[in-house]
Amino acid sequence: MSTSSPANTTALDPILSADAIAARKPARFALAGKSIVTPILLVLILLAIAVVTTMIGSKPFNQVIIDLFVRVILVVGLYVFIGNSGVMSFGQIGFTCLGAYVAAWLTINPVMKKMSLPGLPDFILKAKMEYWQAAIFATIFAAVAALIFGRILMRLSGIAASIATFAMLAMINTIYSNWDRVTGATSSVVGIPIVRSIWPYFTAAGIVIFIAWLHAISRSGLALRAARDEPTAAAASGIDIPKERLVAFVISGAIMGAGGALTAHSIGVVTPDNFYLSLTFVTLSMLVVGGMGSLTGSVLGVVILSALIQALRFLEAGVPVGGSMLALPKGLQEIALGIIMIVILALRPSGLFGNRELTLTRNRSE
Amino acid sequence: MLQIVFDALSLGSLYALGALGIALIFGVMRLVNFAHGDVIAFSIFALLWPSTDAMAIVFAGNLPWFLLIPFVLAVGAGLSVLCEIVVFRRFRNTNPATMMIASFALGFVIRYFLLMLYSSRPKSISLLPILSQPVEILGARLPLLQLITIIVTIAILFGLVIFLRRTRFGLEMRAAAENFSMARMLGVRANRVIMGAFALSGALAGAIALIFGIQTGTADIQMGAAVMLMAFISTVIGGLGSLAGAVLAGFLLGAASVVMQVILPVDARPFRDAFVYGAVILVLLFRPQGLIAARGTKERV
Amino acid sequence: MTLLNLVDVSVRYGRLTAVRGVSINLKEGEVLFITGPNGAGKSSLLRAIAGVTPTAGGHVEFDGAEITGRTPEDIARLGFSMVPEGREVFGSLTIEENLMVGAGMHSRTPGWKGQTAADLDSVYNTFPILKERRNQQAGLLSGGQQQMLVIGRALMARPRLIAIDEPSLGLAPNITDQVYERLIALQAERSLTLLIVEQSSTRAVMVGGRMILMRSGQVVLDGDARELGNSEAMQAAYFGYEDH
Repeated sequence: MSTSSPANTTALDPILSADAIAARKPARFALAGKSIVTPILLVLILLAIAVVTTMIGSKPFNQVIIDLFVRVILVVGLYVFIGNSGVMSFGQIGFTCLGAYVAAWLTINPVMKKMSLPGLPDFILKAKMEYWQAAIFATIFAAVAALIFGRILMRLSGIAASIATFAMLAMINTIYSNWDRVTGATSSVVGIPIVRSIWPYFTAAGIVIFIAWLHAISRSGLALRAARDEPTAAAASGIDIPKERLVAFVISGAIMGAGGALTAHSIGVVTPDNFYLSLTFVTLSMLVVGGMGSLTGSVLGVVILSALIQALRFLEAGVPVGGSMLALPKGLQEIALGIIMIVILALRPSGLFGNRELTLTRNRSE
Repeated sequence: MLQIVFDALSLGSLYALGALGIALIFGVMRLVNFAHGDVIAFSIFALLWPSTDAMAIVFAGNLPWFLLIPFVLAVGAGLSVLCEIVVFRRFRNTNPATMMIASFALGFVIRYFLLMLYSSRPKSISLLPILSQPVEILGARLPLLQLITIIVTIAILFGLVIFLRRTRFGLEMRAAAENFSMARMLGVRANRVIMGAFALSGALAGAIALIFGIQTGTADIQMGAAVMLMAFISTVIGGLGSLAGAVLAGFLLGAASVVMQVILPVDARPFRDAFVYGAVILVLLFRPQGLIAARGTKERV
Repeated sequence: MTLLNLVDVSVRYGRLTAVRGVSINLKEGEVLFITGPNGAGKSSLLRAIAGVTPTAGGHVEFDGAEITGRTPEDIARLGFSMVPEGREVFGSLTIEENLMVGAGMHSRTPGWKGQTAADLDSVYNTFPILKERRNQQAGLLSGGQQQMLVIGRALMARPRLIAIDEPSLGLAPNITDQVYERLIALQAERSLTLLIVEQSSTRAVMVGGRMILMRSGQVVLDGDARELGNSEAMQAAYFGYEDH
């Protein structure tokens, strides 16, 4: 409902004021200087986790942390588009699917490939790459796909855009679930080399965090956030909203693709349903619980929810209490997780971090 | 030919009923309810005694039809209202993304609750087996159920139209769906209307559960998800908040799926759904506000 | 007798204060205009009274009962009928259905059917055009007709007080004249209390009654509309000359 409340008029002033525009360039460098603390702190937190993990040296725990880093990549990828544009997308995991299969295509032993995926073109059938080379191709492939889809989808906004991205995800899933000779349809594609060291995953997560930060303080990122908060004013001041959204969509798609390649190498198997609704919702939940509008929220949302999931799994496996094993019944873990998420959202509707970022000086709102 | 028409209509019926359940709730509280699919699954499992065995232990499923149907509808409505009271009431004024995620989390809770009680294996049940017999109409052999699905859907739609147009509560619901805060300023009780919408939506979920359960002969925790994806899409291309639009789009989507199944070359048939989703994107590009734009749902600045 | 009593009411949106400490006392049967420039907090005040926007401080009494923090539907049921800015008809409902929504709150009282029919007749008598188009969708009405419809709809609730936000917004002057003519006739006939928000004082001066001028969320002037009218104090206060 529109009111003649002064809220509208006052809120527009800072964006439109001539001073702010004139001062943009130096202001941006100042912004970079001040806000770089955030990605550095976030990477340090992840580094601490990685160091502790190597010190513990437990294999299952190692895998848990690898999963954590992969999730960080995916959720930061979501943040780049959803957080900055304010458009809810259900489709980004589609790019993860594309990336994962590119990694599978390029790294599986050619002899095996010929048997399981005979429909692949010759040059892919012969390829045998290192995991990191394949990951680069996966990233590029996903980015190109995001560019093509984005050109079409970014004309939409609001709920129509959300559902269109949903349709895109379902489309990718349908194709990959049925294209027998190229993707193996719904059966698992096996034989992807597994990378067990946590460091490649940590490095990738760190790079992705810095990319997300660079995008957020870039001209395009700032314009996109301005458009998210004040669409009318942003359009009036000449921001090409579809274009800025497309930029974020492609960067996000690339990150999701890289995340997909790493997912493939972390578990060694891919099926289309690994990259469908449940992964979409797990990652979206992490983003929303952490705080959609905040890079800190997206990284720490993953850390917090992952820790929670692990703790619940631990309880489900059973804890010795005075000689007998006390275990939660199966399924209770997910139920507890769901309830905890609802409670967090009810208490903090804009997520744990809202729009705030982690800095050394507290209370700086974006 | 007749077979195709009936296939399209019966598939469309399911989508339309699902879309209606979502549109009803969206109309009164701008919530895209992802838990709806799980309410469907819950309604069918309520007929079985909790057990993790592969064999279903039928419990309420043995009731005669005139008790069975109200039972399932009541379970759906009850669970849906419970969701409103326990969860969604606390999210009335939050943004749609948060509400959506909360509804997803709630669906997650319901799904795993079922999983805990019944295990993830689909269970075969036979409800009202007479309905699976074929009948012959105008030279085409059709399962009786298909016919009944279509008739029941049409009956439900008529009933709903009469309820919305002729009753005081229906009037308040339509007013609230169009402009919730104005309706409240005219003394329409918010809680009553929202609970009514949830009850109706839940009863529709129960209806889908019954039809689906009889059609497939199984109770599957995943069953809601399959219908829901298409139902969501129908709701949006129908014009979010427009009930007529949701129904229309549900039938169109059903028809599109069936027609594509027939006209696509054999090699492309497995990809049928991909073409349907592509068509959905196209429709959104040309009519982002949906086929029937509901008044009062345009984004308010 | 006091019908509406505002004591030190404030409204805040985030860090922004739209209404700061407004106190107004409105007697039964009184006509009060609240005027003031855009952003003075008039609409926010009205919405706060109606329970649509929460108050940040102070309290509101209606007919002797405290209504601060109560729901819009409860407040409406006490006899406070709000006609918000921008008319807000239910566009997909017919005109008669729109009117019936307004009457719904009394559906539990005995004799409701007969009374509603009588009320409907009286609204149709006041606004014959509505009767003519009773089965059409309200969204198809012109702006002036919509304004009549929302006033009629408010009347169907048998209110003690009608609060109207900018009835002249977007209407041609002669249509506005018609709307006001009917409004004042109704007021006299039913001893209604009227609370009208307008940006300019022109209408208040024409119609007469009491007038309050708001600026920056505060009451600046309060007095007889015709006396305040075009006085220099009014001009100065409206445009805020005293600041310079």
